[in-house]
Amino acid sequence: MIKDKIIHKDIRKDFPILSKKILKTKDLVYFDTAASAQKPQVVIDELNQFYERHYSNVSRGVHTLSVESTLRYEDARKKVQNFINAKSENEIIFTKSATESINLVAQTFYDKYMSTGDEIILSLMEHHSNLIPWYFLRDKYGVVIKFANITESGEIDINHFESLITPKTKIAALTHLSNVYGSQIDEKVTSICKKNNVAILLDGCQSAAHLKIDVQKLECDFFVFSGHKTYGPSGIGVLYGKESLLDEMPPYQGGGGMIGEVTTDKASYAELPAKYEAGTPPIAEAHGLGIAIDYMNNVGIENIINHEEELTKYAYKKISELDFVKIYGDGDNRNSIISFNIENIHSHEVSSFLDVEGIAVRAGHHCCQPLMKHLGVNSTSRLSFGLYNTIEEVDIFVNALIKCKEFFIK
Amino acid sequence: MNELLKELYQEIILDHGKEPRNFGECETHNKSAHGHNPLCGDKVSLTLFVDDDDIIKDIKFSGEGCAISVASASLMTEKLKGKKLSYAENMFKDFTDLVRGSEESLSTIDEDDSLYALKGVKDFPMRVKCATLAWHTFKNALKD
Repeated sequence: MIKDKIIHKDIRKDFPILSKKILKTKDLVYFDTAASAQKPQVVIDELNQFYERHYSNVSRGVHTLSVESTLRYEDARKKVQNFINAKSENEIIFTKSATESINLVAQTFYDKYMSTGDEIILSLMEHHSNLIPWYFLRDKYGVVIKFANITESGEIDINHFESLITPKTKIAALTHLSNVYGSQIDEKVTSICKKNNVAILLDGCQSAAHLKIDVQKLECDFFVFSGHKTYGPSGIGVLYGKESLLDEMPPYQGGGGMIGEVTTDKASYAELPAKYEAGTPPIAEAHGLGIAIDYMNNVGIENIINHEEELTKYAYKKISELDFVKIYGDGDNRNSIISFNIENIHSHEVSSFLDVEGIAVRAGHHCCQPLMKHLGVNSTSRLSFGLYNTIEEVDIFVNALIKCKEFFIK
Repeated sequence: MNELLKELYQEIILDHGKEPRNFGECETHNKSAHGHNPLCGDKVSLTLFVDDDDIIKDIKFSGEGCAISVASASLMTEKLKGKKLSYAENMFKDFTDLVRGSEESLSTIDEDDSLYALKGVKDFPMRVKCATLAWHTFKNALKD
């Protein structure tokens, strides 16, 4: 609890939106960071300043503003590189979203390394953004997709995963941290991939702002995450890829900035990272992401992890005590996310009820329809924490859940 | 208890949400449609039997969803049974207006109407889709 106070007293003041009143009377309890994180004042201010004082297109002109913009854009790349401990800044590609990052990998990895009949392994708990880009390959080129089972506790069934691998398996694309269970991937999965020469893409959308990310330790070939879930702006995504792979794979989109030389007959392509950044990139957004990373580093990644662990454990315990609530997954290996249902009450009702109490939670299938089917439910409610949440907010939430149940089940 | 919630979850809504009327499939039907809200996963399947005079002789629905979407489907089937298609289409328009908060020009729904109970949805913009899912499915079924 002492730690909680150290991290919190001033931190909440960094996020102007947290002082908003819902329906004019209720303090906002923002438990939907897994959908998108709120932005600290410094990110909001820096975006303004960037447009007011430094903005121009990047990597093109020689004038002062072009230099100022380019420096900030490339500085953001270095910040991302350090943030996830990539070997080289050439391994950091800016995209418009994590979704675009996955689409980029699916398309270009196929082009270089796969052909009809080759196999991809996904898990049943992937987000739609880590399903559909691969479905496209299945529809277009006839690759085979296999799904790893999920255990009761919300983790990949390791034995089943291993049994899916054949000599035709080329890549596995898996969530680093489940957006439904909050469970972190077992490192055994990556070592199995390594052993069998299967490339691995980790979807880090839910982990980037909540765990210490070290892509070298993770031994992944690709790692993707989004700016907006890491306290930065929307409209910016990151793709990390091993330099040797990014070098070999073909470009994704064609356009300005990704070329070497263009004649009427042919074109050569730029070196990394420009090769994958066709068109004017999200310039201010990249800068904003860099500032958000600075902000997290200033708070301290370890502090964030400890604080969210404390919140998650406390919330899990408190919610588990409510006999009318079913939580999906178990208490160990859970980071900042709890999905649940109240018996006989649809998640929409729960969410609307909590909204009126000032509490923002997500309701629905969380873009994980195959997982919902696997769980035998239509939807769930989900609370998710950010570094600005407090133990007191968990208590408000738990009391509201009790009131919700009393309201609907008389 | 909050007034907005009371307005949203009137007794009749909770009742129809829990025990939907006309649930299932018409024994004989000549029109049908499936409705789906891809954002939340709610589903409704609708079957109708429309006679030669364009009268809706039978209408049933099945599916799964929140109390608002189930109650709305249930109330809709009660309302539409026996109605002429042209009148039903006016009701569609009136209902979608009602739940979006414009009730000035309603011709087929008045304050005593059971459908009026869904008016509270207007204060929860994200729930409008729940309330209109069945009605849009009905509209699609007419194209069948």
